[in-house]
Amino acid sequence: MNPVLEIDALSVTFCGKQAVHAVDRVSFSLGGGEVLALVGETGCGKSVIAHAVMGLLPGEAQVSGRIVFKGRDLLALSERERSAMRGKDCAIVFQDPSRALNPVHRIGRQIAEPVLIHGAGSREEAHRRAAALLERMGLSPPGNYLPLYPCQSSGGMNQRFLIAASTILDPSLVIADEPTKGLDPGRVHEVEDELVRLTGGGRTALLLITHDLAVARRIADRIAVMYAGEIVELAENDAFFDRPSHPYSRGLLQSLPEHGFVPIPGSSPSPVSPPPGCRFQARCRDGKAVCGGQHPDLVSAADGRMVRCWQCR
Amino acid sequence: MLSCRSWIPGPPGGEEIHRAGRKVLRYVLSVCAIIAINFALPRLMPGDPVMNLIGEDAMVTPAQLAEIRAKIGLDRPVTVQFVSCLGDLLCGDLGYSFHLHGPVAGILWSRMSWTLLFAGTAIVLGALIGIIAGALSGWKPETRRSRAVTCAAMAVSCTPPYFLAMLFLAFFAFRLGLFPAKGYYDVLTAGSVVHHLLLPVAVLTLFAASRNLLVMRGSVVQEKNSHYALYARAKGLFGRQILFRHLLRNASLPVITLVALDFGFIFSGALFIEIVFSLNGMGTLIYDAILARDYPLLQGAFLVIALLVVTANIIADLLYGALDPRVREGGV
Amino acid sequence: MRAMDALKSTNRGAMALLAVFLCMAAFPSLIAPYGPSERSMPYQAPGPEHILGTTNMGNDILSELIYGARISLLVGFASALMATGIGLAVGLTAGYFRGALDEVLMAFTDVVLIIPKIPLIIILAAFLRPGVGILILVLGALSWESIARVVRSKTLQVRETGFVMSARCMGFPPLRIMASDIVPNIVHVVLPKFMLATAAAMISEASLSFLGLGDPSMESWGAMVSSAFTKGGFIREMWWWYLPPGICITLCVLSVAAIGFAFEAGEGTTVRVE
Repeated sequence: MNPVLEIDALSVTFCGKQAVHAVDRVSFSLGGGEVLALVGETGCGKSVIAHAVMGLLPGEAQVSGRIVFKGRDLLALSERERSAMRGKDCAIVFQDPSRALNPVHRIGRQIAEPVLIHGAGSREEAHRRAAALLERMGLSPPGNYLPLYPCQSSGGMNQRFLIAASTILDPSLVIADEPTKGLDPGRVHEVEDELVRLTGGGRTALLLITHDLAVARRIADRIAVMYAGEIVELAENDAFFDRPSHPYSRGLLQSLPEHGFVPIPGSSPSPVSPPPGCRFQARCRDGKAVCGGQHPDLVSAADGRMVRCWQCR
Repeated sequence: MLSCRSWIPGPPGGEEIHRAGRKVLRYVLSVCAIIAINFALPRLMPGDPVMNLIGEDAMVTPAQLAEIRAKIGLDRPVTVQFVSCLGDLLCGDLGYSFHLHGPVAGILWSRMSWTLLFAGTAIVLGALIGIIAGALSGWKPETRRSRAVTCAAMAVSCTPPYFLAMLFLAFFAFRLGLFPAKGYYDVLTAGSVVHHLLLPVAVLTLFAASRNLLVMRGSVVQEKNSHYALYARAKGLFGRQILFRHLLRNASLPVITLVALDFGFIFSGALFIEIVFSLNGMGTLIYDAILARDYPLLQGAFLVIALLVVTANIIADLLYGALDPRVREGGV
Repeated sequence: MRAMDALKSTNRGAMALLAVFLCMAAFPSLIAPYGPSERSMPYQAPGPEHILGTTNMGNDILSELIYGARISLLVGFASALMATGIGLAVGLTAGYFRGALDEVLMAFTDVVLIIPKIPLIIILAAFLRPGVGILILVLGALSWESIARVVRSKTLQVRETGFVMSARCMGFPPLRIMASDIVPNIVHVVLPKFMLATAAAMISEASLSFLGLGDPSMESWGAMVSSAFTKGGFIREMWWWYLPPGICITLCVLSVAAIGFAFEAGEGTTVRVE
């Protein structure tokens, strides 16, 4: 089956006073209807990948590599061609929904907007579709919600409205950037259900960016762990949570509440000048001499997963 | 079962009424202050209060003066005087101008409609032009055109309006002879009025637009970096579509505040321009009154202008509330 | 970055321009070719003896121009100083003590804000036969509202910082806290407002002089334009009479405002000349 999204050696560098290497030769692919969770701590580059795929990086970002979406290399397209795809073929759901929604426009208008932008219907048609979508999401009657303003509803509700606005045109790829950040547990489950409902049909692929491992565990098919701008482990959901390979992955799982809240000592390396060799080496308990000297590649392990570690060969 | 509160906005709650009440109180207090100032001025200023009340240039015989002095009743207690003054105001009596031999209210009324036409057109046009030009300039602030426009706007807003008017008059009317140099009309037709008013309206519009442009530009530059602007782009909006569909309304809000606050300033500018263009509106009336020290007229004019400004502020407040739901909800 | 360089060069240009005007104001007798009361033939066009011609009274226009700088700058800065003083007092008090005092002061500020300045100034000036002093007092007493608002909001912020909290806990008298802790931290917002208030005061002075309400003994730039307008210079297209003072007003206000804008550029707030 052809993958919907194929990322090949993607690198993103921000050129300011110093060059910041946010993403370094990341490669992975996403099949149709699949859910891939990209996890990692703040600053590891996962949001940058999301923005790179959507083409929303600021001007001073230098992008290299290939981002192939449904057979087209996105980096070779013009801005106009890319904006024709945004909201229609690929969509993104931002964190902080209350700020991502325009505070002076009604919810109904914002959900219906992609239909009008891409010329997929008249204004009445667009509002009908928005109402139908809200009904499908269980927000009924939709007339209660469409005339609201973002300031009149809660963060959790706004996040669901945001998802509705992003998915109204049935995009093949949805990127959810920290969709459950800052929500209380009840709302987190609502959003999760929404995302599961989204990918249930097998037509929409979801790239889930999160630092919340619990959410990743509940809804992802595969897990990709990022550290310091690189992918360090890529495995199936069950295999990953049963037996994480990379020392960083192990550390992450141990820092969860149910495993004792054991933090990983130290902090991630500076993206301006990453260390030679393995980037996790300074904080790794199992580090050996080779880890400091040579940079490991992402290679396949016996059970099909990919790991970037000299100790996991 | 989904847990959700009732999302339907209900009747205004206690807090909303409280906030609206405070605004109304503020306006009422302002009007009271204005009336109080108007009342106190002639009585507090140096010189004979009676002369202050009837104007320096009033040509009255000593007998008439004594009569007036008795009628005004300056020896009555202050509160009684104030109440009587208030009563006069409510009846629309703004005093009598001895200089012009007529009731102040009537004189002001006849001249004011022209000034309002002139100033009102310029304020509305200035707001529209300032918003659009400021939005375009703020969207691409680094381009040479945007910077040139910004510099021009700064230069214009630093120029006294009457000087700008003189330049326009000297160039377009005297030198090029394209426009008439004085008056509101030769014949009372729409065409003639437009022909006469074109230059003055252009000057005042330019002045108001330059101020609005600067504020709008700064506002757009700020709003450009907001999350919702980025999300609009993520939905597929391209280039200036983002500006016009999303940013324009949000970024115009400070401009509305400015137009309200500025109303008094722009209206005053209109008076100066009227003087330069010899238009028969409030400007020349006030200029005349200053030369003749016709205090009743000046006070009446002050009262009327101040009340106009309060009205403009109220309208702007309502408009702002209509555009920005956060204000209605009290969340800003 | 290009934006910062542009800002720096505008700033330097504005400061240089302002310096020129300050020199004109400080040492007029050194620069001006004629004294303020020397007269020759009136209504002269520009020539070798009088570079900018003469007025209807025979005064040299260039000399009048140079002497006129004093009034504009004096009235501008002095009234802005007064407005800033009042604004600081009101804003600090409201922001520091909060509560009922804050409400009352802000209500008072709001009310004063709505009252239209120029008509009120016109009336006061008409009653009072102004000189420079009255002008400064009146302008200063009517322009402090926006400064008070800004000072108040910044004071509310600074009040909650660590070192101010500790000073309050230690029981220092409020006046001392305000002076030594709060004021130094709000200077950077007050300074641009001061410059913009100066610019506004200069325009107001020019407007009042145009109406004949300025100081009759000192011929400010606005009064020069007024003379040109009323004494036949404008009708006769004597542009050398009214153009230079008008341009001087614009340039002087522009330089002060530009400096004010530059100060405020770091704050990221929207700016305007009042």
